[in-house]
Amino acid sequence: MIWVSWRQHRSQAIACLGVLAALAIYAIVVGTSMRTAFSHDGLPACLGRSQGTICQAAVQAFTGEFGSAVNIAFYSVLLIAPGLLGVIIGAPLIASELEYGTWRLAWSQTIPRTRWLAVKLALVTGGLIVLGAAMTAVITWYRAPMDRLTGHFLQNIYDYEGLVLTAYILCAFGFGVLAGLLIHRSIPAMIAAFIPWLAIRLVVEFLLRSRFLAPVTLVQNCAGLCVESGQNGGTGISAIPPATGHIGDWVLSIGGNAQGTQTVITYQPADRFWIFQSIEAGIFVALTAAALGATIWLLHRRSA
Amino acid sequence: MVHHDAGGTAPALRADRLGRRYGRVWGLRDCTVEVPAGAVVGLIGPNGSGKTTLLEMIIGLLEPTEGEVSVFGTTSRAHPVARLARVGYLAQDHPLYRDFSVADMFHLGRAMNPSWDQGLGQARMQALGIPLKRKVKTLSGGQQAQVALTMALAKRAPLLVLDEPVSSLDPVARLEFMRDLMASVAGTGLTVIIASHVVSELERLCDWLVVLTGGQVQVAGPADDLLAAHRLLTVPRATPDAELPGLPVHRTDDGQHSTVLVRIDPARPAVRQRPGWQADPAGFEQLVLAYLQRRPRTAAGYDTALTATEVTQ
Repeated sequence: MIWVSWRQHRSQAIACLGVLAALAIYAIVVGTSMRTAFSHDGLPACLGRSQGTICQAAVQAFTGEFGSAVNIAFYSVLLIAPGLLGVIIGAPLIASELEYGTWRLAWSQTIPRTRWLAVKLALVTGGLIVLGAAMTAVITWYRAPMDRLTGHFLQNIYDYEGLVLTAYILCAFGFGVLAGLLIHRSIPAMIAAFIPWLAIRLVVEFLLRSRFLAPVTLVQNCAGLCVESGQNGGTGISAIPPATGHIGDWVLSIGGNAQGTQTVITYQPADRFWIFQSIEAGIFVALTAAALGATIWLLHRRSA
Repeated sequence: MVHHDAGGTAPALRADRLGRRYGRVWGLRDCTVEVPAGAVVGLIGPNGSGKTTLLEMIIGLLEPTEGEVSVFGTTSRAHPVARLARVGYLAQDHPLYRDFSVADMFHLGRAMNPSWDQGLGQARMQALGIPLKRKVKTLSGGQQAQVALTMALAKRAPLLVLDEPVSSLDPVARLEFMRDLMASVAGTGLTVIIASHVVSELERLCDWLVVLTGGQVQVAGPADDLLAAHRLLTVPRATPDAELPGLPVHRTDDGQHSTVLVRIDPARPAVRQRPGWQADPAGFEQLVLAYLQRRPRTAAGYDTALTATEVTQ
């Protein structure tokens, strides 16, 4: 059965390796020049002695040069890429068997169809975990200099470092497999799986993530020099270091008290990164497990 | 060929008041059939008559809504794996993985069936002149059907189920396929069920017959016994059904005469004659066509289907 799964998914595996190789080449080319500039600008020494406050000009020059390459070009592609990857591999897993009638061949062999599915799911899931981990490693290496200036909590960094990237891919895969079983056709199943994946992904990112843990509140006396309410929250690259004065903190809000004598900052400290990653990955892995569990159950019951 | 495990004395196939409902529509209802091991069964019915539904329940791809079906004594509920192991299945349009080579398909068969007979597969491909390295998608329709049949045969299951095996093939490929199939099952002790809506294909191959229309079994039994139990009468058109000997199955009125297929008691085959009447033995095709055209069984005047239990074997 392992051979059968491998034979059926071989071309997908090769295509995924191709995508990974392309990503790695891009990362090496751009990442190398970024590293050179980082050292050249004297940023390591500056960061060694401060949170970037004594070399504002160099920080701005560096982020000006590489910020767009790192953030904007990547972000729009990478936001949907894990979902696309997951549904493209997940949806045809059962749907193509139903589409081309090969389910009658596959499920009438001596190995029962639930075992057929379980082996396939285990193998493909394992492959996607390896792929997700490799992509995460490449992106993390590539972004390392920038991350020393911004930390890992920014949306477009957080989403591709740590655990969540792999979890996003798995979730889209699980949705794709289930949609394929329900819809019987690969392309409509891809669409039907991608839309809820994207919706959940955006809801988690923009509504839930900042609430995973209660934020920390920082009150500073400011003797007439308070930051104005509504100012940039310090989560953008333009604010280095953020309002808390510590690189990597995720500032959620900055406000003044009524008397105008204090600045009130709420933020998620940088060292919560891995807790947040675990919580978010947990959500998506749980959704994956639910989708795949439902698929196995439905396939088992399908004959009834 | 090796003698197959026939599962002791249990019949190859036993369906007991088997039914399957899709939503509110019954795809098959009240199907009771018992087929002995070694029979080559022609399952004949128009498209949509419930053939595939019956076959999928036999294989275990579909669970019955009511009743039960067992293959060599195993039901798919009680012994799902043993059941799958006992049926070799060639589905309609002979599905194969198009980007697999023939060797890959055989590798799949070996990986998914403990009883896989690689030697049989290779010998058949050699005899048919199909190279193992060829990709499935580069093969002709006839060759793909042969590869799919070989997959079903090499599983070494005692029951072989073929669903419309030649309906998508051209006439020459049909002939070759059926000839090869006859040669492949002859003398093996295999029980074979071939579903088709083309009667002529089955006449030479099958020694058993099941006619299915509208989700109901119209007639089932050994072909010879069924032929002995029917006569084709030509009578004056005015003759009422009640005066006919035996049970009229189907009547065609044509000018001055009516042609009626009647079921008679095989123990008393001498049909009582009247002047102007003519009684001929029924042919395989006439018999099948008469049952295919019979009015639904629920209509008044017809009793239950003639089933295997009524026919002495």
